[in-house]
Amino acid sequence: MPENEPELSSDEVRHVARLARLGITPEEVTRFRDQLRNILHAIEALNRADTSRVPATAHPLEQRNVMREDERQPSLSIEAALQNAPSVEDGYFKVKAIQE
Amino acid sequence: MKLFQGTIRALHQMLVDREISSVELTESVLGQIDAVGRETHAYLAVTRDLALHQARAADARIREGDRVRPLTGIPIAIKDVLCVEGVPATAGSRILEGFVPPYSATVVERLATEGAVFLGKTNCDEFAMGSSNENSGYRPVHNPWDLDRVPGGSSGGSAAAVASGEAVAALGSDTGGSIRQPAALTGTVGMKPTYGRVSRYGLIAFASSLDQVGPITRDVADCAVLLQAIAGHDARDSTSSPRPVPDYLAGLDGGVHGMRLGVPKEYFVSGMEPEVERAVRSAIEVYQRLGATIEEVSLPHSDVALPAYYIIAPAEASSNLARYDGARYGVQAGGGRNVIEEYELTRQQGFGAEVKRRIMLGTYALSSGYYDAFYLKAQKVRTLIIEDFQRAFEQVDALLGATSPTVAFPLGAKTQDPVAMYLNDIITIPANLGNVCGISVPCGLANGLPIGLQVLAPGYREDVALRVAQAFESATEFNRARSPLVGSAA
Amino acid sequence: MIATKYEVVVGLEVHAQIKTESKMFCGCSTDYLAAAPNANTCPVCLGLPGSLPVINRKAVEATIRTALALHCEIPEFSKFDRKNYFYPDLPKGYQISQYDLPFSRNGYLEFDVKGEPGRCGITRVHLEEDTGKLLHAGAIEQAQSSLINLNRAGVPLMEIVSEPDLRTADEAREYVMRLRAILQYIGVNDGNMESGQLRCDANVSLRPVGAKELGTKVEVKNMNSFRAIHRAILYEIVRQTEVLDAAGRLAQETRGWNDARGLTVSQRSKELAEDYRYFPEPDLPPLEVSRAWVGQIKAGLPELPAARRDRLVADFGLSAYDASVLTSSKPMAEYFEETVRLGAPAKTAANWILGDFSRFLNADHKEIQDSAIQPAHLQQLIALVETSAISGKMAKQTFDEMYRAADPGPALDAAKRSRQISGDAELEAIVDQVIAQNEKSVADFKGGKQQALGFLVGQAMKLSKGRANPERLNALLRAKIQ
Repeated sequence: MPENEPELSSDEVRHVARLARLGITPEEVTRFRDQLRNILHAIEALNRADTSRVPATAHPLEQRNVMREDERQPSLSIEAALQNAPSVEDGYFKVKAIQE
Repeated sequence: MKLFQGTIRALHQMLVDREISSVELTESVLGQIDAVGRETHAYLAVTRDLALHQARAADARIREGDRVRPLTGIPIAIKDVLCVEGVPATAGSRILEGFVPPYSATVVERLATEGAVFLGKTNCDEFAMGSSNENSGYRPVHNPWDLDRVPGGSSGGSAAAVASGEAVAALGSDTGGSIRQPAALTGTVGMKPTYGRVSRYGLIAFASSLDQVGPITRDVADCAVLLQAIAGHDARDSTSSPRPVPDYLAGLDGGVHGMRLGVPKEYFVSGMEPEVERAVRSAIEVYQRLGATIEEVSLPHSDVALPAYYIIAPAEASSNLARYDGARYGVQAGGGRNVIEEYELTRQQGFGAEVKRRIMLGTYALSSGYYDAFYLKAQKVRTLIIEDFQRAFEQVDALLGATSPTVAFPLGAKTQDPVAMYLNDIITIPANLGNVCGISVPCGLANGLPIGLQVLAPGYREDVALRVAQAFESATEFNRARSPLVGSAA
Repeated sequence: MIATKYEVVVGLEVHAQIKTESKMFCGCSTDYLAAAPNANTCPVCLGLPGSLPVINRKAVEATIRTALALHCEIPEFSKFDRKNYFYPDLPKGYQISQYDLPFSRNGYLEFDVKGEPGRCGITRVHLEEDTGKLLHAGAIEQAQSSLINLNRAGVPLMEIVSEPDLRTADEAREYVMRLRAILQYIGVNDGNMESGQLRCDANVSLRPVGAKELGTKVEVKNMNSFRAIHRAILYEIVRQTEVLDAAGRLAQETRGWNDARGLTVSQRSKELAEDYRYFPEPDLPPLEVSRAWVGQIKAGLPELPAARRDRLVADFGLSAYDASVLTSSKPMAEYFEETVRLGAPAKTAANWILGDFSRFLNADHKEIQDSAIQPAHLQQLIALVETSAISGKMAKQTFDEMYRAADPGPALDAAKRSRQISGDAELEAIVDQVIAQNEKSVADFKGGKQQALGFLVGQAMKLSKGRANPERLNALLRAKIQ
């Protein structure tokens, strides 16, 4: 939406998918690119708003300094912690090797 | 009247008068689920055994006069984005298939403490992203008023369950209209409380700064009862408000005489169906007759709410959904050569198209070089929208408008065009960004399909929204209409 | 030797776990070393859908406390942000950290290198959550799978970022030692580097002497001890000098220190830098750090190492160097002061602690608080020497025995019982025997070879099993021979 930017490219779509760890087929690259272009085009309407005099709102909250005291609460049992894991070994969650 | 057609308040009276038992009531509702569930697909999971167990416990409480609360023994449906310990939670996504949370959401705990009966988990758009329920990773929900049409979304299953007699009331969640819009499209009452009014702990997050849990019910009084049960501070949700919760039933019948009600001119959007506009204009006349002063107001930044929303919500979602990697829960794709490939495969196979689209959009909006132009800009627009509401509420007590520009549309009508689908929420989204509360109440039918009237009130003034909605409901007959699946009201 | 045409520029990022009972955002125990895998986890630190963080107040206060001890500014407004990246040890797919509004900025740390004062700017101290730990079967490059333990996930972690003000490996080491001492003093961290309580990464670059711009930065990780920090930076200086001399250009990258092989190994290229997509954490309202709150935390700060060093110099007459080393570890400084309080002369106590005691501890990679020898033991041993009950040599032997034993008591008692042989009758018998057995040495001494006497004294000591009073022995030997 930065004005005069060229439209979203297939390479950018692949880069974003990579950042988001989303596997993506070549067909999806094209489809998402076109759909996201349309969406981004609609979002360009944001530029109509003059935001020069306002701060950003990250939270619609009035609260500040919400904190808890440093006290221990019971943890889950190891069984409960692991019960949903697709792959477990010796009480650990197991995933494929890191290898970059 | 069949029991499954009843309201919370009427059924509660029958329960405490021992005219019926909670087990009878629960069986009636479960029977209706058996009868029509295959047509609506309102539920992803029905917790029959749990429900009957809770119903028996509720009956014991009522018998012994032990902590009998307004929801004791009342069968309630829970949107599948809320965790119930020991009950599968999918958020409508394949990626969470088989996930059984080892803990319960705070709102679920509060309902359990009340003695409510949990019927099951209702269908929804995947991770609450959608306006038609067609983004459910399992199956779309069909509107009880016309099975060829959508019930709205994302809380379409909860709304359809209430509209079809498959639940007496339900919990939904609303990030950009996901309670109010399906309520409008199914002829039910749905409320999005002010952000911070209801705990989000245990609500599977879509957009953390916008999500809010709320009730979907048959009438406004039920809405007040259910809100009363779930509202209030929760130490486990740092964004929940410590403000005291008023008694929502106390002022419910106060009427609107002498109140100032605003009609934002921007809310009659282009593309609004004429029957919808007509119904809303008639509703405004009703308020005038009831003694309210009607004023036209302006929320000048309404047109940029939708684009701001479609930056903020996907940006937060892209981060919230990063945890679904198949390592600790959910489905692991298998077949990746290393953990990165495995993540990519798992997420490719587990997420549906709309969720992927929003993850991509949000990731893009937050990525280096685009943050200021997108995310920061959208947050500033959010400030403008908040200021719009502040100015309007200096002038009036509540705002009136349509909930959805259209009535329920046919399944498949908008699935190919994301932007057209996003326009469904154009009048509901500002309330989430502006952090006010809103309620949708039935205000008529167009060709047999329900129309919703939206009432917006300032932050933490759910009492005002409920009172304004109640005045309309009491003065009109629209609330009596029932979907064909329920049969005619007694 | 390293060529002098380059200037070395080092900046350090130190991660320090904060000593709390419970984790940063949930009530799980932080005691992750002792627990069974994944025993200290809950919906929040497992990153289960629907869970939400709640800030641990003590961790926030510890961060501000640290920042104050490092002379930082504490802004009035602060917030948490999400740092988004995928890694199996990061359950939520983002780390709750602080990006543009950390709890503190612009401080400094003073240290000294062999008595020369040094100072390094502190860019910021911010608060975040630690990650879980991964376990690999075999080498990470070959492993088929990784095992995840999330007990550490969510432990409060401070990141202390220095300015690129350090110029030598010595300075870097001293900076970390002094920083560690401060953390110990203010009670936020025990300073154990091997267990990962305290972790250090270094950004090392070289630039031509006189240049203003920084050279290509190499990030060095995996340095688990002061010695490793020192060696790794020295290694990098040499390596980078060689690369610059040969090729003229360095790769911007992350390198891991391999302590066993004594070199750094390239881990990943920074060209493919992650895009962390920071944004304000929507689950946590921001924080207003009132001046009153800062004042309260400041008032609670204890004496810091620099002040304690000055006090030891003033009160006990220690050299600045000895006082500096003693105060570099809070337990050591406390040990010293307790030993003196029990009656030991300050300089003697300092010599013991900085001498044999430290030598033994260093060899064993232990800290003074890990030793069974208590200040009272050391004080009694010193007292035996002071009253001439035992010789300095015996004391050293006794200390060695005390140090090796699980209970230092018996060795100390034996020393007390043994006493020195000072009685002339007993000593004369020994001297006579030595003279009879070493005729040649006796003759040499008589012939003017002074060192022969030393040999004879040594033989007499041996016969007395070290118990002879050396001055008396010397005098008797001289008297008998001459």
